[in-house]
Amino acid sequence: MLKILYFGRLSDLAGRQEEYLDLPKDINTISVLKPYLSTLHDLGDALDDPSIKTMINQSLVFGDASIIDAREIGFLPPVGGG
Amino acid sequence: MMILVSSTPFDPGKHINEFAKKCTSAGGIASFLGQVRSENNTVSTLTLQSYPGVTEQGIQGAEENARLRWELEDIFILHRIGTMQAGDPIVLVLTAAKHRRDAFEACDFLMDYLKTEAIFWKKQTGQNGTQWIEPRTEDYQDNKRWSL
Repeated sequence: MLKILYFGRLSDLAGRQEEYLDLPKDINTISVLKPYLSTLHDLGDALDDPSIKTMINQSLVFGDASIIDAREIGFLPPVGGG
Repeated sequence: MMILVSSTPFDPGKHINEFAKKCTSAGGIASFLGQVRSENNTVSTLTLQSYPGVTEQGIQGAEENARLRWELEDIFILHRIGTMQAGDPIVLVLTAAKHRRDAFEACDFLMDYLKTEAIFWKKQTGQNGTQWIEPRTEDYQDNKRWSL
């Protein structure tokens, strides 16, 4: 099971802050995960916004990346500070 | 050193007293308490999200930077997440040092980090509806004061 986390406005759009998913085998990179999640939660192109950062296992990744060893993936809009 | 990100309301006085009792070698303790502002006397709520683990790691980095810059005896940082009402405490930063200048400046530095770079998402609900908030230009300028 893969833990997916949505923050800020993405959590409103997805209607949740986190979820656990059993992904189909062909969903193995960030670039294919994003459209999969966008369809699942009707997110439109929100995950493709260049301001959205992606973390795999709590480390930032840039561009596309494999999610084969991922336990947790977070999608982070710009932070608002405390 | 203590860093807490908590969804539980807190009593600032209790934490200041406990911290002061522990820091017997400090000559002074600086404190900053942030609370939810009411906007034009209308009731508003503020909801903060953190990324558990990642948010604390970021704050710890700022805390380590503060220790490199100033001579500090101890640091306490408590930040609320969840939904808060006007007047509720959001953040408490305590810095203990032998000398007051170190305590004041480290507290100011840590608050600038928390206001701009800390990993929180902030949603305000008030008379203008609900919106996600980003740091103000002034917050970024305040934070730049510490650039080498």
